[in-house]
Amino acid sequence: MKNKRPGGILAVFKYLDHLTNAMEKAGKRGDFDGHEVFSPTSYHEIEHAAGYGASPVRFFTLAGAMTGTCLGFALPLLTDWDWNLVVGGKAGVFPSLPAYVVIGFELTILLGGIATIIGMLVMGRIPNPKQRVLDPRFTDDRFGIFVPHAALDGEQARILKECGAEEIKEIKAT
Amino acid sequence: MSDEVKWTKTISDVNDGILANLEKPHPTYYLAWMTAILFVAIGIACWTYQITYGTGAAGLNSPVYWGVYITDFVFWVGIGHAGTLISAILFLFRAKWRNTVARGAEAMTVFAVITAGLFPLIHVGRLWFAAYWMAPLPNTNNLWVNFRSPLIWDVFAISTYLTISLLFWYMGLVPDLASIRDRVKGFKRLVYGIMSFGWRGTARQWHHYEAGYGFLAALATPLVLSVHSIVSWDFAMSIQPGWHTTIFPPYFVAGAILSGCAMVYTLLVPIRKMFRFEQFITKEHLEACVKLTLLTSTIVFYAYAVEFFVAWYSGNVYEWEIFEKRAVGPYAFYFWVMVFCNCVFPMIWWSKRMRNNVAVSMFVAILINVGMWFERYNIIVSSLAEDFIPGSWGHYQPSFIEIGITLGSFGWFFFWFLIFCKFFPIVSMSELKLIMPKPLSTSKNS
Repeated sequence: MKNKRPGGILAVFKYLDHLTNAMEKAGKRGDFDGHEVFSPTSYHEIEHAAGYGASPVRFFTLAGAMTGTCLGFALPLLTDWDWNLVVGGKAGVFPSLPAYVVIGFELTILLGGIATIIGMLVMGRIPNPKQRVLDPRFTDDRFGIFVPHAALDGEQARILKECGAEEIKEIKAT
Repeated sequence: MSDEVKWTKTISDVNDGILANLEKPHPTYYLAWMTAILFVAIGIACWTYQITYGTGAAGLNSPVYWGVYITDFVFWVGIGHAGTLISAILFLFRAKWRNTVARGAEAMTVFAVITAGLFPLIHVGRLWFAAYWMAPLPNTNNLWVNFRSPLIWDVFAISTYLTISLLFWYMGLVPDLASIRDRVKGFKRLVYGIMSFGWRGTARQWHHYEAGYGFLAALATPLVLSVHSIVSWDFAMSIQPGWHTTIFPPYFVAGAILSGCAMVYTLLVPIRKMFRFEQFITKEHLEACVKLTLLTSTIVFYAYAVEFFVAWYSGNVYEWEIFEKRAVGPYAFYFWVMVFCNCVFPMIWWSKRMRNNVAVSMFVAILINVGMWFERYNIIVSSLAEDFIPGSWGHYQPSFIEIGITLGSFGWFFFWFLIFCKFFPIVSMSELKLIMPKPLSTSKNS
């Protein structure tokens, strides 16, 4: 049976520039496949070194916002269609459309925001109860690179050490 | 702004500095918390009295049916505005000083909007008979709610604002909750692990998080401007003299941001002391908050002046009568407290020495909070009490029950805010690390 959480090596870095240097080297080689990078906060240098494109979260936002706009206009218009209540000399549907912009706007923001959060969770693969914390220092002040299926005496470990990793340790498969 | 901050700490000190102090707050924290509970008890007692004996206990009567409760509602919604302004708008403008105060401001927003949401419920009396009127559901005659009414717009605006603020605040908390999870053991670790969704801080997670945070900020920016505009339409869409004016939306938004920024300052100064965060929330950050408050104070000053000018220039006798009476009539006291607290006293902040004097600035910030409450009271009560027909004029005086419930709302707000401060990082650790010197090998500053 294929193991879902493979073993490998974990390099711990103290400095951001050492980490990005290691990431750039790892990106050019084929034996770092599936490696993960850890950071205590979102430095743009890491994003550049990883070479990520635009996040797909934007599609979630767009889909949510458009759904909200449609729903926001549909709600008052359908109630007009159900029973056309004339208030202040204004009949429902078209004469009242300017008033319904407010409902349309609010639901655009509401569903757009909710969809954005869903997008962040889905793309970040959380919540995931099976996640493992490889090193608690990664949420404090240290950076890290985890290379699956690599060994302490392998080429990957040597490169990471060369790049300035202050510690390299073995992670067992679980 | 952050370039001017002389950091004595590095990113390695952040988690220890913030989390260790959460465990052992200053004794004044517990005193503040007990005081908040006392105020909540007063509020509950008054509310129980009102439910038992009816809304007559509130002092609301013809022609003033919107008194202190709607004043409180508008006041608390206004307080909630600075949180999203600081977390979303200043984020888009890349104002780095916001990183230290954003979490506290967001928490303030969430609790202030929840507090505001109580007032329409309190205002309707026995809420189990009436609260459902606010939902977009058909009534007993099978008629739908009137979507052309600003009151229904308000329900949509406030509930959207609360939801988005809550999501924005919680997403910001997730990486910090993971930091706590990685420091604690046993049951606490399980709880913080669940609350942090298993966040690991991978580059991929940060990448999508940053993108999503930016989109949420972009969505929240028009939202923050729209919410108090819509609240202002509760008044401006009517034909009541003193309310029926197109200046209301920007005037209300500026007032909301003024009161919100003043409340951020009022909260941050004691919290900074209680949890010993002086080295993270520096004087430079507090000064930036004061500058923003001063800016909005001048906008509000301008709005007050323009409102008077428009009333006079319109040639509408009813409109001008109300404004004259606000300044020299039976509600003049409220008017002048409003003018002095919101426009005159903040002028002291043009002096850099006064901006950096925490005691003086704290005092002025509290005065602004008082002034903004009086502003809402002045707008609501003076316009309702004396409209077109002298035969229908009346006078309104808040009852002890209304004052008690207002005090209770302050207790309720501070109660939740103080609980939050004890169990969650009130300074965003991941965002604070971003504005501190980067841990680079070349600078050897880590």
